[in-house]
Amino acid sequence: MCNACGFPAAPGHWTEAGADTAHDRLRERHRRVAMLNALLKPQGVSVHDGGNVPGFLVTGPGGASTIVGNLEELWIEVERLTGRIFDPLSP
Amino acid sequence: MSKGGKRLKLTIVGGFLGSGKTTWLRHQLHEGRFADAHVLVNEAAGTPVDHSLLGLANDLTVLSGGCACCDGKGALEAALLTICDARSKTGDPARELTEIVLETSGLADPAAIAELVQSHPVLIRHILVSDVIVVVDALYGLAALKTEPLARAQISAADGLVITKSDEADPRNVAYLRAVLAYLAPAVAQSGASFGADIDLPEAIQVPLDLPAFAGATTGAIRVCSLELGNTPDWTVLTLWLSSLLHARGDQIVRVKGVVTSAAGDLLVQAVRTTVQSPEKLPYRPGSALQNELILIGTGVNCDEIQKSYERFLSLG
Repeated sequence: MCNACGFPAAPGHWTEAGADTAHDRLRERHRRVAMLNALLKPQGVSVHDGGNVPGFLVTGPGGASTIVGNLEELWIEVERLTGRIFDPLSP
Repeated sequence: MSKGGKRLKLTIVGGFLGSGKTTWLRHQLHEGRFADAHVLVNEAAGTPVDHSLLGLANDLTVLSGGCACCDGKGALEAALLTICDARSKTGDPARELTEIVLETSGLADPAAIAELVQSHPVLIRHILVSDVIVVVDALYGLAALKTEPLARAQISAADGLVITKSDEADPRNVAYLRAVLAYLAPAVAQSGASFGADIDLPEAIQVPLDLPAFAGATTGAIRVCSLELGNTPDWTVLTLWLSSLLHARGDQIVRVKGVVTSAAGDLLVQAVRTTVQSPEKLPYRPGSALQNELILIGTGVNCDEIQKSYERFLSLG
């Protein structure tokens, strides 16, 4: 944990367990962001991950941006920014 | 972090009031299971009794006067932190504590305790919730399941079910109880115990179940969906999909379980309600059960929809 910002609070979110090496982790982050952008474009939400700092940046339809730590926080933020839950079963 | 680098395994023993948790645990200790474990006993009552029955435990801490999932939460947290702290100071990896067994009070929801460990910034680094064993009483268990939402919540959080006192109950009732348990917690192993010792159980019978729905509960039958992930599952797709599903449909999903091959090895993925445990890396075991198959158990879920939705996510990759 970074003792200046307290981030990340927990050792790796469960969604990040699939990559062990730095190479795999970076690759995974870039793929994740590409997929999220494809998925959330209809909602007017975009996601950016610089790859060098923890977490990623979510930007809502109005331009408001938030840094989220993991996917779990991302869905909460998407709900807040768009005013509706992103439901994978009824897109 | 400990010198050995491994997290402590936490086994939660739950079950309704008087279901036989202490008796079962006492016999397990007698047989040498959990021999090196630190045993934590939680009792809702102010005057503890159970700990005097567990004399064989390696190390024992009693938390009385409050259930560990609600008003006794602070005491459990403090006890776990003390254990982790002592372990970190052991110095010798060979002598380090490897296991904790927590016997909950009869009023505890094991899922809430698992969540406490998962969401605590320090405990999550030290403790891995490895097993939730729920004890069900063959004589009165069914009555509790019919009237108490908590008793049902306990069953749905289980990784393993132990049916006690089945030798004293009518075999037909035990068979019916097994069918009810299989309905509430599909794909969970059931075993029988008499005073803690293993005994055989009668087969579950196929009859219409008479379980009243609780007010406020999500209606619909409990369904088990199996999602085939293929030989080389896409971890990125799976996590995107599952995290959004749990966010949107968390009130419907009761349990998720499966072994997923990823770049980091075979990972055991499991969730109780919306809490996903940090995936554990499994040793290489070719051709094992649940390999690259995700079991989703939920109320009122449509397996077809789930499969289609996952495939839609796959097409993004």
